[in-house]
Amino acid sequence: MNLGTRKILDNSFTAVGMGSIVVMALALLVVLTPIVYNGVGAVFFTGTIEHRTMLYKEYGRGDSKTIEAQSATADRYRGEAYRMLSGFEAEMEGMTPEASREYRSKYAPVRAAMSSLLGPLPGDPQPMLTRFQYGQTRWEKAEEKLHDILYEKKWDYSDPTVMAKEFYVPRAEAFAGTKLAPLFGYVDKHLADMMQPQFTFYWGFFTDRSLDAHIFGGIWPEIQGTFFLAIGAMLFAFPLGVIAAVYFTEYAKEGFFTSILRSANSTLAGVPSIVFGLFGLAFFINTMKVSESKSVLAGSLTLAIMILPTIIRAAEEAILSVPKTYKEASLGLGSTKWNTIATVILPAALPGIITGGIISLGRAAGETAPIIFTAAVSVGSAIGIADVFSSPTPALSWNIYNLASEHEMASEIRHVQYGMVLSLVSIVLLLNLSAILLRAKISQKLKG
Amino acid sequence: MTEEVKNDGQRSSAFVVSPQKRKMQKLAKNAGETLLLGIASFVAIVVLFIFYFVAVDAIPYFQLRGFTEFFTSTGWYPAGEPGEFGALAIIYGSAMVTFGSALLAVPMGIAAAVCLSDILPFSVRQYAKPIIEMLAAIPSVAFGFFALVILAPLLQSNGGPLLMWTWWVLAAPFLLLAVIVAADLLSARFAREENRRKMALLLQSLFGILAVLVLYVVGTKLNAIEIITGTNALNVSIILSFMALPTIVSVAEDALQSVGRELREGSYALGATRAETLLKTVLPAASSGILAAVILGIMRALGETMVVWMASGNSSHIPDPWFNYLEAVRTLTATIAGDMGEADQVTGSARYHVLFAMGLLLLVISFFSNLVSERIVVRQRKILSGQ
Amino acid sequence: MQMTAEHKESKATGPATATRDIYIPSERVAVSGGGTPHVVAKDFSIYYGDFEAVKKVNAEILSKYVTAIIGPSGCGKSTFLRAINRMNDLIPSCHTSGILQFDGEDIYGKLTDEVLLRKKIGMVFQKPNPFPKSIFDNIAYGPRLHGMTDKKQLEEIVERSLRKAALWDEVSDRLERNALGLSGGQQQRLCVARTLAVEPEILLLDEPTSALDPKATAKIEDLIQELRGSYTIMIVTHNMQQASRVSDYTMFFYEGVLVEYAQTAQLFTNPKDRMTEDYITGRFS
Repeated sequence: MNLGTRKILDNSFTAVGMGSIVVMALALLVVLTPIVYNGVGAVFFTGTIEHRTMLYKEYGRGDSKTIEAQSATADRYRGEAYRMLSGFEAEMEGMTPEASREYRSKYAPVRAAMSSLLGPLPGDPQPMLTRFQYGQTRWEKAEEKLHDILYEKKWDYSDPTVMAKEFYVPRAEAFAGTKLAPLFGYVDKHLADMMQPQFTFYWGFFTDRSLDAHIFGGIWPEIQGTFFLAIGAMLFAFPLGVIAAVYFTEYAKEGFFTSILRSANSTLAGVPSIVFGLFGLAFFINTMKVSESKSVLAGSLTLAIMILPTIIRAAEEAILSVPKTYKEASLGLGSTKWNTIATVILPAALPGIITGGIISLGRAAGETAPIIFTAAVSVGSAIGIADVFSSPTPALSWNIYNLASEHEMASEIRHVQYGMVLSLVSIVLLLNLSAILLRAKISQKLKG
Repeated sequence: MTEEVKNDGQRSSAFVVSPQKRKMQKLAKNAGETLLLGIASFVAIVVLFIFYFVAVDAIPYFQLRGFTEFFTSTGWYPAGEPGEFGALAIIYGSAMVTFGSALLAVPMGIAAAVCLSDILPFSVRQYAKPIIEMLAAIPSVAFGFFALVILAPLLQSNGGPLLMWTWWVLAAPFLLLAVIVAADLLSARFAREENRRKMALLLQSLFGILAVLVLYVVGTKLNAIEIITGTNALNVSIILSFMALPTIVSVAEDALQSVGRELREGSYALGATRAETLLKTVLPAASSGILAAVILGIMRALGETMVVWMASGNSSHIPDPWFNYLEAVRTLTATIAGDMGEADQVTGSARYHVLFAMGLLLLVISFFSNLVSERIVVRQRKILSGQ
Repeated sequence: MQMTAEHKESKATGPATATRDIYIPSERVAVSGGGTPHVVAKDFSIYYGDFEAVKKVNAEILSKYVTAIIGPSGCGKSTFLRAINRMNDLIPSCHTSGILQFDGEDIYGKLTDEVLLRKKIGMVFQKPNPFPKSIFDNIAYGPRLHGMTDKKQLEEIVERSLRKAALWDEVSDRLERNALGLSGGQQQRLCVARTLAVEPEILLLDEPTSALDPKATAKIEDLIQELRGSYTIMIVTHNMQQASRVSDYTMFFYEGVLVEYAQTAQLFTNPKDRMTEDYITGRFS
């Protein structure tokens, strides 16, 4: 091969390496950008009067005078639309049965969409579920509903070889000549007047309980549950892990038994997370009966076992990186071994140990599989600290799955899901970031 | 003080203690060490317990139904009367997404590891490492959410063009390289010294046209593909590969670092380029460590639950044709997570125990992979340190 | 390599004659009450696994004097020094044979409490190794370990030790600062002070100046001169000038064998052994 070709190959080799790192960075960006952008939308968004009313009624927050004034304005505009609806209903009464039946089937979706946009219509009974008691609380959702009111979705089956395509037909045409006809133009024109949109900073998203399975409200129970589980896991795993690391670094004599223990550690690190869940169910709940059924305690214990190897490894590394001279100096002064470990080695290794602990805490907070069978419930309120021994808890990781995959209105509450994902990712990444910073500080300190 | 310590009797008692006291000291020391050992053995006990308790709940399944159905049938109707528990399609689904993610993650991971250990200057590496750490830190459920809510709809609506563009971006540079190298090799072989340049140019243009043709034909074929469902094996494989990457990169980088500088310098001194040095001497020397990295990365993908549960489609069948990554699949981990909710109510039935059987299968695979990778790493360390 | 033959010769005669070479020259005895055997080695060997690192040493270390140990790297001089306060216990494969006594008691005896032993025999290491704590806490570390809690007493000890180590004037106003902020020389004197604070009888110095600049080295050497007469001092050094400057006696080790042990002045001016001569004249190192 001539030299030119070899150099081209050399450079392309470099490019492939750099390329894969760039791809990783891009992947991180591609995953995080929508999560951050949409997640922020759970807290900062354009809220409607419905949101403010809901907050006032359910959580007692907000200024009643402003809300009443805005409600009054909104109601004035809504009243006109309600009159058109009732006028049309009266008009249908006077039609021939065939015409009436045809209009009724077309009218039903319009009425449903109006109700979804504005809340219960005048004359409707008060709905049981909270989700039907209010109209759209977010402006972008209100606009979606407006689209539902204005257009009818149809499917184009004309070409049987490809999948049917959807297309939209304005509803106004179907009601031309009736009393409902002006409604569409009116709603389109006065949507903002009826909804009173206003920029909203909903900080309560992090501290409020959820309402009606997360249709409204915040994610406090999940945040608290996540903290309980992660901190509980640390309470068990951290002391055990550090002591085991002390044993491995300071006491263990190299031999068959020690190598078995080390293998056990790496085996545990490689066990799939769902198997921890199975073990937690079979051992902590069914055999040990630490609680009747799922509980924070059982979940914390399961998570503790999962993060134990990480803590041991990090602590071992931190202890090994303590200069041997410290140990020599201490022993040379007539200190006992245990004293040396407690007063010199552990304090010097502490930042490194804590770094490992923080990363493990993040891992415990982010894991889902081990708590599915042992601790997590999908809907529930925040539990008291005394209940951790007996009660299960909602948790961020589990409820992200649950709301995104199993919730009956999953696509209606994407903003809540994004808000949860952002919260979880922020918690985990902030923990990791602080660990990275701590480590940088340590290495700087060691340099002098 | 100096006068005092002259007294011999006093001095000798300075560090020699009575047999009783010495005995007590030894006893206390041994007791303390035993206690520590006990705590350190906790991990080993936990591993034994995990095997025991998963196996104890898995064995009843095999007693009830035997081994044949589980490993050879693709019929998975656990809720049926009587239920069918053929896990072959599920095992295949696990294998499929694991293989798919490895296909993407292994070359990228090794390339990135090489880049980190040998190519990037320290100042850049400082920023590259946290990227990898962050990628490793993102909770799996967040990846799953991304796969389900963003990637799946994207694949479903724009799958064809997406595949085409990916093909073009990835394949074009490699084909270009292949053209250059092939032209160079062939001209060196068949042409005489003075004609070599012309011959190379001719071959390059010839192969170039061929390559463009291949690019175009495959591209249009891919563009025409319609993806029925966005929650499929391809989606999951892509996401899993990014989750396995950090493991592969960090373990492989360690392996590369442990190959001494002498080896690299020896190769450079013979006039090798950096790529040649890395490919012909460093990578072979670090190969066993890299193999361990690959095994650990694959295990990460195989053991992952949330992403596959949310975004694999959870359809228990072997795709048709068997390599069709655009179909929905179902994996072991997702089955355990998804079916336990229903099986829980009827504890004691085959439906409950079959999930433990799957857990046991995963556990055994992960155990042996770990054992193998650990052996590999230890052996490499021995070879490198002890010559 | 050509040394081997001669070496074998000296191996046969060196250790046996070593103890006989010891005498106390009257003109240099400026120390009251010194000169009694403080540490005594009889056929004392140290092994790493099967490897005999120090071979059958016979010697008496005299109290209150400064004894230097010199020899090429890997000759076992540090190993021998570290054996005296059992620092070698940290190395699992290390074991000993023969007798090593401190004030007539076996250092490696069954009833020896190595913690008490190390309190009596202090050690300062090659690289200054202060703990990442304040200066005060560094000095007070030893006394606190041995049960002293009284603040007043601790302050006294800290001041006394720092004064003895000639560091007091430099650090008295910043005792609460982190000891890692001191210069290398100051750190090493701090380590000496820290060792003195537990009131040992013997000070083992393992190449205490090898990591220091000439100025700091001079200060440490001055310090050794100050402490001479109050403590039995053993110093391992690579630097022959240093050995001749600070010590009263010098031991020369070669490949684990104590080749020659004599009054420093005599060893450097009139070595008995060819090996010693070759070494001190710089023919090998």
